[in-house]
Amino acid sequence: MAPLLRLEGLRLYFRTAAGPVRAVDGVHLEVGRGRTVAVLGESGCGKTSLARAVLRLLPRNVAEYSGRVWLDGQDLMELPEERFRREVRWVRMSLVPQAAMNALNPVVRIGDQVAEPLWLHGRVRSAAEARAYVEEALRHVSVPADFVDRYPFELSGGMRQRVAIAMALILRPDLVVLDEPTSALDVLTQANLLNVLKTLRGELGTSFLLITHDLATASELADDVAVMYAGQIVEFAPASQFLLQPQHPYARALRAAVVSLREDRTPQPLPGQPPSLLRPPAGCRFADRCAFRFDPCGTPPPRVRAGEGEVACWLFAQEGSRVG
Amino acid sequence: MSDRPLLEVRELRTWYELRRFGFLHQGWVRAVDGVSFVVARGEAVAVVGESGCGKSTLVKTLLGLVRPLRGEVWFDGRRIATAADLRWYRAQVGYVQQDPYGALPPFLTVRRILEEPLVVNGVRSRQEREARVRRALEAVQLVPPEEFLPRFPHMLSGGQQQRLVVARATILGPQLLVADEPVSMLDASVRVEVLQLLRSLQERQHVAVVYVTHDLSTVRHFCERVLVMYAGKLVEQAPVDELLRDPKHPYTQALLTAIPDPDPDNARRLRPVPAGEPPSLVRPPSGCRFHPRCPAAMPGVCEVEEPPEFRVDGLRRVACWLYDPHAVRAPAGSGRR
Repeated sequence: MAPLLRLEGLRLYFRTAAGPVRAVDGVHLEVGRGRTVAVLGESGCGKTSLARAVLRLLPRNVAEYSGRVWLDGQDLMELPEERFRREVRWVRMSLVPQAAMNALNPVVRIGDQVAEPLWLHGRVRSAAEARAYVEEALRHVSVPADFVDRYPFELSGGMRQRVAIAMALILRPDLVVLDEPTSALDVLTQANLLNVLKTLRGELGTSFLLITHDLATASELADDVAVMYAGQIVEFAPASQFLLQPQHPYARALRAAVVSLREDRTPQPLPGQPPSLLRPPAGCRFADRCAFRFDPCGTPPPRVRAGEGEVACWLFAQEGSRVG
Repeated sequence: MSDRPLLEVRELRTWYELRRFGFLHQGWVRAVDGVSFVVARGEAVAVVGESGCGKSTLVKTLLGLVRPLRGEVWFDGRRIATAADLRWYRAQVGYVQQDPYGALPPFLTVRRILEEPLVVNGVRSRQEREARVRRALEAVQLVPPEEFLPRFPHMLSGGQQQRLVVARATILGPQLLVADEPVSMLDASVRVEVLQLLRSLQERQHVAVVYVTHDLSTVRHFCERVLVMYAGKLVEQAPVDELLRDPKHPYTQALLTAIPDPDPDNARRLRPVPAGEPPSLVRPPSGCRFHPRCPAAMPGVCEVEEPPEFRVDGLRRVACWLYDPHAVRAPAGSGRR
């Protein structure tokens, strides 16, 4: 079966005085129906820009926006902006932005905010009908029904984050993009929210694209993990493979750098820093920091199979192993 | 060297007054509410707690930036009370801030940033200052020093900025370093590097470290002892290995359950964590402050009286009625896990 979402060579460059910043530079990615894919990367690797590129929420200084975004077999890049807004954004794909809990309108009651997409997209005709939808959505994220009449400041951070998720779910999209959904929350609140998301996934069968910098959060939700480095996906693999046997040298280094509570090993720092996205290296972007660097790394690596996933690395390139 | 502790905090209470219209008393925010602990020479101690539990206020009080309402801070056998004490004390304590970029003056070069504490503390000779600046840069592995001396903070990466902050905090040769969430703004790959740097400074220069964090998973390799803070109080004090192997206080147990390890099975199970949020520090719950969320709460006990710190297994202290040695009831939920 065709995947729900498929990205092919997606590019998003920003115009700056110093030249174009290649925030997303040729990303290939698939999200299966009902699956959760975590995009894992460090700050500045372009993961939030990737989320924006998928939902076509672009700032004004775009230098290039190209490639293919297939949703359910339809090429979304062909759609004009108005049709995209009316038929796709929030209807079939929605976003829980970073720090969503601070994005709620302080002077609008919770119930009215969550209901807004319903009115804008003409799904309801009466307030009573809207309220029924809202209560249903809030129930899915375990927010008590009597919160509909409250204002955002009366809710804790964790509860506001749940409200933002309810808003993203209200039109029952097939795909929800979650940008760092737990990063500003406390440990216990985080665990509670992840429980909510896990239950949701089972109940609704929604697909999630989870943007995160935290490997442990990714392990909590993801079926597949895409590791992003300097604007590109360097490894895409089932979560179990990535967590137990990461393949790409960057993925291995990232895994080894994670400080973990119970694992009996000393975490290893990864020296150096990512390249500038203004003038990225011509070949493999990780080559300068890579312990396995050899001759071919000066040219862009092919995407090749590695175990059950794929990597963009010359180490794994053999006859017949190429995927794209 | 003497046996007396380097830092001793006794019954510290730092409350902030809430005023209406700026003068009418409305109540108190009990950010730090009766905290006692000691730090030995050269020891690394972690203070772990969630946001709003009072750990930053504890740091500010330890640094002498906020005056406590009650309680005492003793350093090297001397009580810090007067302005003169404070001046002497501050030269012995280094501070590593959370946000390195915010902590560094943007228009000063690395050389000037590191020279400043020396100038303020009366190091007159230019050669000596220069030598100490270079030594400090080498100690935090910003080498070669010539390359970094003329740079401005924005020309350094996040990890380098944080190492510069550490260099500044240690240039006067302090006996104690207070690090407030020193790695929470850094990426995973850089985090370990900064933590290992703090650890090596602690070991080589015999500096004691108070490491404040919300992230329990980082304490294991970098500290000897952990203090767990909840709603302005310390609920558990224990050596790090014992705490991770066998947490005693129900709050510590909940914290440990909530922290995921990178394990593929995580995605298939829910975490049994208590619901709810930390309480208000203006009107904290009666009795034990964790009792409304506690799975082991004993009605008639926990909400009535505040638990004192009980000694458990020699070195550990737990503020929980489950560990009351004089109680008739069997300590439920305290079994080894």
